[in-house]
Amino acid sequence: MNWKARSAFLAAVVAFAMTAVACGSSPSSGGSSSGGSSPKGSVTIAGFNFTEGSVLAELYGQALEHDGYSVQYKLNLGNREVVSKAIEAGSIDAYIGYAATDLEFYNKGAGEASGDVNANVNKLNGHLQSLNMVALNPSAAIDQNAFAMTKANAQKFNATKLSDLAAHGSDIVLGGPPECANRPFCKPGLEQTYGIHFKDFKSLDADGPLTRAALANGSIQLGLVFSSDGDLNSLGLVVLQDDKHLESADNVVPILRSTVATADVKKIMNAVSAGLTTNDLIDMNNQAGPQHMDPDAVAAAYLQKHNYFS
Amino acid sequence: METVVNVIQWFANPAHWSGTDGIPTRFVEHIELSAVSVAIGAVIALPVGIVLGHYGRFGALAMSLSNVGRAIPSIALLVLAFQVFGLGNLPIVIALTALAIPPMLTNSYVALREVDPDIKEAARGMGYREPAQILRVELPLAVPLVMAGIRTSAVQVVATATLAALIAGGGFGRYIIDGFGQQDYTKLVAGGILVALLALVTEGLLSGLERLLMPRGLRLLAAPAARRVVFKTA
Amino acid sequence: MPRGLFLEYVDPWINWDWLSRHIPVVTAALVQHIELTAIAVGLGLAIAVPVGVIAQRRKLLRSAVLTVFDIFYTIPSIAVFVFLIPYTGLTAVTAEVALVGYAVLILARNVMVGLDAVPKDVLDAADGMGYRPFARLIRVELPLALPTIFAGLRIATVTTIGLITIAALIGWGGLGQLILQGFIESFHTPLVVGMALSIALAFVADLGLAAIQRLALPWSRTS
Repeated sequence: MNWKARSAFLAAVVAFAMTAVACGSSPSSGGSSSGGSSPKGSVTIAGFNFTEGSVLAELYGQALEHDGYSVQYKLNLGNREVVSKAIEAGSIDAYIGYAATDLEFYNKGAGEASGDVNANVNKLNGHLQSLNMVALNPSAAIDQNAFAMTKANAQKFNATKLSDLAAHGSDIVLGGPPECANRPFCKPGLEQTYGIHFKDFKSLDADGPLTRAALANGSIQLGLVFSSDGDLNSLGLVVLQDDKHLESADNVVPILRSTVATADVKKIMNAVSAGLTTNDLIDMNNQAGPQHMDPDAVAAAYLQKHNYFS
Repeated sequence: METVVNVIQWFANPAHWSGTDGIPTRFVEHIELSAVSVAIGAVIALPVGIVLGHYGRFGALAMSLSNVGRAIPSIALLVLAFQVFGLGNLPIVIALTALAIPPMLTNSYVALREVDPDIKEAARGMGYREPAQILRVELPLAVPLVMAGIRTSAVQVVATATLAALIAGGGFGRYIIDGFGQQDYTKLVAGGILVALLALVTEGLLSGLERLLMPRGLRLLAAPAARRVVFKTA
Repeated sequence: MPRGLFLEYVDPWINWDWLSRHIPVVTAALVQHIELTAIAVGLGLAIAVPVGVIAQRRKLLRSAVLTVFDIFYTIPSIAVFVFLIPYTGLTAVTAEVALVGYAVLILARNVMVGLDAVPKDVLDAADGMGYRPFARLIRVELPLALPTIFAGLRIATVTTIGLITIAALIGWGGLGQLILQGFIESFHTPLVVGMALSIALAFVADLGLAAIQRLALPWSRTS
């Protein structure tokens, strides 16, 4: 009966496969390069699901790598709702957030955010403390929600600023990521602050390919974009002025789990924040977005140019 | 338990039964996308599968198509269709049609292939011309397996249409993708329940149709249990 | 698609330069894809065999199991992935629970069908030779059911390889990460590479399993 030998062979194949799996499994994602051996420990940085998220994660991550940390990247992980769950659960150690939006996220839309970035970060830290998280120094670079139209529609509605749209709400479909429907700096804010009552809301993405395509083919008239986008003008889009100051100081700010935020880590990340400007952000987004350069290469070139690697 | 209560309340909320994001609208969108895709898929797949099966040609091709159908990641197909055809229902229908074809083509090929050669011989002896032989003799015998292919395909497309929401499509997938984005688990679970219900109802209705279409003679025989082809792309 | 307006840079289907600079990223995604598949199918098999064996023996349990399976099978994986996040976080466990579940459904069904097909004469002969029930199961019934179980293994493997890409939405997609990146960045190359490798992996795995089957189960060659 040689089936015995055959089933033994089969069992061996299965056992081998399972051992190979057990030995081979590693927590790294399909993100970017990691630093190899790590005398200083390991940090997992997440990026939001839009291009700037990847650029910022790489920017701060590579600065840490340069100083001897092993960095894992979870790029395109999701929106803030998803990323915050991940950091609270300890699946990631850090993400690069935005002061006002993160404040209003963690205070559940209490409306505390203002134009004073330091006040925003202080209040944000008040909410993060109980979650064992901490926000570092904000950078001068700002990227906030903005709302764009095609030039043709802006002419049709005779609109240069958001308050011009109040009378035309019933002709306008707003497009943005799913969470825009609930976020204070998005649809609810436009309704309350500007009194625009939209014909409809269409779930798309955060200033990504869907929003751009929807603006172009007319399935939406107003779309959420980011103020740090460099290419809106060349796409035939105009950003309407936020004349009633719905958006608050959304400065780029790293948010970490407290256990990871050692003095050394803080020093490295604060140094990056200290040098970063809004124009830097626009430049890098332009390279990584429309020009399809890699977020990691764009970040490396920036750090090189500004002597972080010396 | 809390989730269960929340989901029941979600369904009981009249606001979720009206408007562009209401259940009736999403239901119609989901059905439209699925039905159009399966119908176009059937028009392409069934004649090809039936003719190939009748002549017994290109068997390896017809059989391996079902493997291809399983191997193509549906999410990639949808994104690719969006990048090529832009925003709207067209890319969704194209991607879903591509996913609908393999189970129907493979099953109808096998169904015709497995018609007893003696019966084919007898039909020819009775003077049937080839088209008539396929339509009146072979196809009725092949109904169970052909229908099983359509059923598998339809259930698969209904489930996969959920992913259309990723490229801004409508349908019940909206509740799942939006619920995820908004971290609204009640909406998400409700969406999952709606899709599963729709898939089960589709399965039930098509099984009923299958029984109606089956020739009496075949029904009287202990009909061979139509083999279940497993397809899952979402 | 308003290409002229919205894609200023003509994007080739494959940018070989990008690909050559991203071999490590692509490899990491492929390795993760293989790991997730192996775990899902391996665990799926370990669960499906006892479940299938027990359910095949009891008519009531059998129809209950099959009904539950059919219902679970219609739930889109994206819903299961996302639903589990509050309990298991954005970990590989979240991805694997759903994937193992679907693999079990496919495999357990084939275990039952394979055992069903064992001829009554063979069972009688085995009883006549004095086999006890457990020995009969291990030495007679399962070996005869193996070709069917193997067919299920191949379907489960190919299906799992396709489904994993969807787990990219919760951060664990293997090659699906590349697909998602291609989508978000409107960049063809990672999309096409992720898709092509996923299809290729499915075919290689299918052929590999077929080869193992031929070597290990020569009695199934005719089927």
